[in-house]
Amino acid sequence: MKAALLLCALLASGNPYEGKPDAVRAGAKLYARHCAQCHGRTAEGHGRAPSLRTAAVQAAPPEDLFHTVTNGVMRRGMPSWAHLPAERRWQIVTYLRSLK
Amino acid sequence: MKTSILLLVLSAAALSAAEGPYYVTYSAQMEEPGNLELAFDQVAGNPFLSSIMELEYGVKTWWTTEFYLDGQATRGEGALFTGWRIENRIRPWMGEHRINPVLYVEFEDINGADKSLKEIVGHDVADDQLVSNSVARQDHQREVETKLILSSNVRGWDISTNLIGEKNLAAEPWEFGYAFGASRPLAFAATPNPCTFCRENFSVGAEVFGGLGTWGQFGVAGTSHYVAPILAWQLPSGAQLMVSPAFGLNGNSHALLVRFTVSYEMEQIGRLFRRRS
Repeated sequence: MKAALLLCALLASGNPYEGKPDAVRAGAKLYARHCAQCHGRTAEGHGRAPSLRTAAVQAAPPEDLFHTVTNGVMRRGMPSWAHLPAERRWQIVTYLRSLK
Repeated sequence: MKTSILLLVLSAAALSAAEGPYYVTYSAQMEEPGNLELAFDQVAGNPFLSSIMELEYGVKTWWTTEFYLDGQATRGEGALFTGWRIENRIRPWMGEHRINPVLYVEFEDINGADKSLKEIVGHDVADDQLVSNSVARQDHQREVETKLILSSNVRGWDISTNLIGEKNLAAEPWEFGYAFGASRPLAFAATPNPCTFCRENFSVGAEVFGGLGTWGQFGVAGTSHYVAPILAWQLPSGAQLMVSPAFGLNGNSHALLVRFTVSYEMEQIGRLFRRRS
């Protein structure tokens, strides 16, 4: 019960880095290191890795993007990034949402 | 043709190393599909220096395969090649769970002079490494090693446990061992600017590992055990350096082993080869 309440509180609060320019820059650095090899340097997509500039991705709630980064889509070739601390995963999400 | 492929490989951009910052313990972190990691491990003990070259390739998000070449040099006895190993790690559950299991199977064809100490099983003890190379190399070992890897990511920490079972394919009993590791980056959040010596590039942790006897003599009697703090440094170039002293916990263990690893990950090697073919 406590864990569920904590999760609700976390989801309600959303991205702790939303709108912070430093987080966008940190996220860009992390994106280049971990994501660009598949999604492309400018997130335009490559092969099976989709573009992250599409309207669907940009309209997705940050929590959904965070969930995807955390769990990956392993059956379709995207690995889990749960070994990165949550702070870094949120910074990546912040960067992705800055691509609008 | 060969030269152009080599140039393509060497010009591939580098990434952060894939595995957790451990020498013995495995986490659930798999090699990214299509990436190739090249690593050189060194273990210095008294009186030897063991070297391993590792090639780790991500076949799928849930399947990583790795090939090893082992060698060692012993003071006053020269250097020799001691064998090879091939391993596969399979992650049966997709997505992230509270505990992520990974199944590990390895075949190794090594001789008794191997001193890589990538795992401690059965009644492996420090005195095993005192047998002269000329005698130990006559002992040819073909072994299958299995591991159950259980790994969790908790608030930025990696916590991993390995349960090891190893069987010499000659008529010898199963040998057992364990490894436990915990690690975390020095800083959880990344800084906005590129940096080399900032805290986010360093990870610290520790691992404990040792033998658990054999099928007929299970337990810690006559086994060796180690505790090892670890410091890993991720360079912006994509290389990772790791240093770890391992301290023996009982009289059967080496008093001190110094372990050093340098690794370098090349991205999407598989894609480059697919393009060429």
